[in-house]
Amino acid sequence: MTKTMISVERVLDLIAIYGAHTHMWPEEERAAAVALLEAEPDTFEEAIADARLIDEVLEREVIPDPSSAFSAQIIAAAPSAKARKAGILTDLKAALFPKGVRWPAGAALASLAMGLVGGYAYASTDIAYDSADEALYAAFGYDAETAWTVEDVS
Amino acid sequence: MSRISELDQITRAANGDRAAQAALVNRNMPIVFRTAYRMLGDRAEAEDITQETFLRAWRALPDWQPKAKFSTWACTVALNLCRDRLRKKKPVLMDELPERIDSALRPEEALASSQAQNWIAKQISVLPERQREAISLCALEGMSNIEAADVMDISVHALESLLARARRALRLTLKPSEQAGT
Repeated sequence: MTKTMISVERVLDLIAIYGAHTHMWPEEERAAAVALLEAEPDTFEEAIADARLIDEVLEREVIPDPSSAFSAQIIAAAPSAKARKAGILTDLKAALFPKGVRWPAGAALASLAMGLVGGYAYASTDIAYDSADEALYAAFGYDAETAWTVEDVS
Repeated sequence: MSRISELDQITRAANGDRAAQAALVNRNMPIVFRTAYRMLGDRAEAEDITQETFLRAWRALPDWQPKAKFSTWACTVALNLCRDRLRKKKPVLMDELPERIDSALRPEEALASSQAQNWIAKQISVLPERQREAISLCALEGMSNIEAADVMDISVHALESLLARARRALRLTLKPSEQAGT
């Protein structure tokens, strides 16, 4: 069967399956089926009448509305933007460790973090600064900053 | 709504945009509720199913894959939840039940009466479960045959068979004299 040809049996099927309203018929068969329906109206008259009866019954169906606050309840249960932001850390963790944080990776990360924190703490003390300066002066042959300064001034 | 704009709406809803969430609910909640109501025949139960469907949607949205329309996904979830609930209620396969429809009123009397809407709802509610799903999605919600078959996870051919049987059963309730002869 092509798009331009359809059998009488198939049009009768379409009526029995989808009803008398041709807009409810499958799009790919509709044009050919409507063309045949219009060409041979007597052939389909009884089937259309039967189908129309059922269509009318279905069209009279009434469903009660959900309670007035129902939509608001559903929307209230939706994730808030704040919750979503909190979830970004979780997303980042999932992206970095898609199979979860394993011990070797976790230990390496912890070592890196401890090294950075320890290094920063040590570097920010005066003792460390003085020691570093003394090392610098010693590298140029001076005992301390004083000797460097005295010679520089003189 | 085009697929791109629906995807955009879903992305915004997943990021907590209240307007996008409300639009998604307002656009899709009615079809989910009506489908659940037709399957369960009870407003409170239909609301439960609808609420659970959207709770699952909120969890699913961050990882949403635009393979299907949101309404298709939501109806699939809702129908599965309805089937679970019906299974717990009645451990009998509904499709094995006879398709004979019982009515206290004569059809023409029922349709003419003030209780016509209840009568119609009853005729639909006593259809076998899968026929009810098919008639609900296609004839009453106007889904295409491909989309409805997708929701029900069956072939278009199987969907057409269910629709034909459902309409035939409804027709018999309207013409009981023919029922005796067939």
